[in-house]
Amino acid sequence: MSYQPTTYYNNRRQQNWSRNQNTARFSSAVKLGPVAHTVLVVLMVTVLGLIYLTQATRTTSYDYQSQAIESQIADLSTQKSDLEVENARLTSLNNVKNSNVAKAMTTPSNVQYVQQ
Amino acid sequence: MKLELLKGSRSRVLAGCLLAVAALFVVRLFYIQIIQHDYYQQLADSEQIKRLTIPAQRGMIYALNGNQPVPLVMNETVYTLFADPATVKDVQGIINTVESVAGGNARSNLDKLLTTPNSRYQILATKLTTAQAEAIKKKGLAGIGFQQESQRVYPEGSLAAQTLGFVDADGNGEYGIEQGMDSALKGKDGMLQSVTDIASVPLTIGSRNVKKPAQNGENVVLTIDRNIQSYVEDALSRQLQKIGAPDGSVIVMNPQNGQVMAMANYPSYDPSTFNTVTDASLFNNNVISLPYEPGSDIKTFTMATGVDTGVVNAQSTYNNTGVINVDGIDIHNAPGDTQFGNITLQTAMNWSLNTGYVTVAERLGGAGQDINLKARQTMYDYFYNRFRLGQLTGIQLAGELPGIIIPPSDPDGNAVRYSNMAFGQGLDVTMLQVASGFSSLVNGGKYYKPSIVAGSVDDYGNYHAAKPTTPTTYIKSSTADQIREMTHVARSSVFPGIDKSGYYMGGKTGTSQAIVNGKYSDTDTIATYLGYGGSQAETKYVIMVRVSGPKFGGSGAAAAMPVFTDISNWLVRYLNIPPQE
Repeated sequence: MSYQPTTYYNNRRQQNWSRNQNTARFSSAVKLGPVAHTVLVVLMVTVLGLIYLTQATRTTSYDYQSQAIESQIADLSTQKSDLEVENARLTSLNNVKNSNVAKAMTTPSNVQYVQQ
Repeated sequence: MKLELLKGSRSRVLAGCLLAVAALFVVRLFYIQIIQHDYYQQLADSEQIKRLTIPAQRGMIYALNGNQPVPLVMNETVYTLFADPATVKDVQGIINTVESVAGGNARSNLDKLLTTPNSRYQILATKLTTAQAEAIKKKGLAGIGFQQESQRVYPEGSLAAQTLGFVDADGNGEYGIEQGMDSALKGKDGMLQSVTDIASVPLTIGSRNVKKPAQNGENVVLTIDRNIQSYVEDALSRQLQKIGAPDGSVIVMNPQNGQVMAMANYPSYDPSTFNTVTDASLFNNNVISLPYEPGSDIKTFTMATGVDTGVVNAQSTYNNTGVINVDGIDIHNAPGDTQFGNITLQTAMNWSLNTGYVTVAERLGGAGQDINLKARQTMYDYFYNRFRLGQLTGIQLAGELPGIIIPPSDPDGNAVRYSNMAFGQGLDVTMLQVASGFSSLVNGGKYYKPSIVAGSVDDYGNYHAAKPTTPTTYIKSSTADQIREMTHVARSSVFPGIDKSGYYMGGKTGTSQAIVNGKYSDTDTIATYLGYGGSQAETKYVIMVRVSGPKFGGSGAAAAMPVFTDISNWLVRYLNIPPQE
């Protein structure tokens, strides 16, 4: 049984092996014909296509998440504004004047100023 | 042979046909995709790409509470509830829900609206709060929807209404600071251009997406102090109701920087219901929009002109006979004059004698007893150029009017007019102009351009004060000191005991005849009081009060001065000015 190496592309380094160099070469028993190659290429293209589609869809799903978060931010901003308005109303002069604390206050009969 | 040829011919014919059809497709596709590319691209874009406006939020307006900004005008999200009668299923359910939740905001004829034939849009309720809108949404009623919008709200009610103005239905500021600073308050809308799905959700696919964020409007802080403003409005309202006067205004200024601390008008209105106001004159801020003849308040300006040019001082004398003749026209003092003979200009100031200030105007021209061209030019220079009367001050409010001072070069700018101007008739000025000019008479002679904007509040709620304005010296400080002293003497000698003791206050009354149907009225007057207060070392505030209106005949001392006194005696406490022994 004579040695018959599989024909592979050999780089320049391999082509210039030195004499007595301890080398080994592996030769696969599986041989692929042109149909198998074509099927493999088609499969690879299909897989790559699926990966692309998956990523593109995932980007779109992020858009929906982003939209949901923005909507939530808008709702919270509205709530914040409403609370600020309510706070301003509760601390308005009219409310302060009519509060029980203000009603219990009396006008000072005498005012003294202390100079520092 | 023939058969084979025929076979070959059919195959070729078929192949030729298929090729022709394929060529037809190719040509058609070439026409659609290449030649008409732009057209179909545009069609696709119109379906897939949407341009959405990102609305800018209108800036809020603040007043000061001491040194802290407090909101006067805010934005509130409200909702309009609408129905599509064609898709409504439970009419009674909607009516019950809307009436119970929306209350007074609901339309009265809901039944009719919900059953309107051939209609796809009917408004059921307006200005719903977020809580009300959420309560209705929870019911899950079919055929209704909500439209979100922003509206102005006023936590302090009608406080400083004419200073604020309002925002109309188109989102434009009207009157006051809303119009005066409309472009700054509005901000700039943003834009989102994006491929969207069928529910209009923006998607990041595509290369022509554009997002330009909105620039919210500036949050403006006014120099108005809400406590002073509130007290001033109450004091003015109390006095006008007490004496039955129909109309009045007050301005309180800080003479040390020209900032307006309060600006009040009576009667007023509620800006949140501006659309219900039937008398549009209520929107006017009469402190800046109503030029009038100021009367004797102007004697302080005439005296300052005389003192500054060196022709008179407080102790200069003249012979008061109760009348003075100018170019054949007799000018009288007001009724009740008892100060006849050789009297000082201080006495003339105390008793507001017209003859004294016509005399000052005469002396501005030299030794002769005539208000000659030199005298008129000097008066015009001081009144117009130095005290800035009869021209716009440039305050940041809409609706300011300039008034008018007739120059000596005008045929009407004759001696008689200028003799009248010496005691405040024959010129039209606004209260803001008078108060600003008077501030320079009681602060050492420095004129500050009046301002109503104290600074701004950033998006994080931090207050940034505006740069202080630079004063311009228009008269000598010695002149200002003398006028300050004269008005102090005028107030304390004629009206003793009305001020809190330990403070240094002064002022001048003004009572001018109102013009009715083009003529000076003997019954209608404009009563004013112009004064200041603080310590002897420094004037802390200037207050000007005007009371007037149809069939009102009160005097400055009786109608306007009590408002000044009321505010002044409260203000010394509020501003924590310590009394002096």
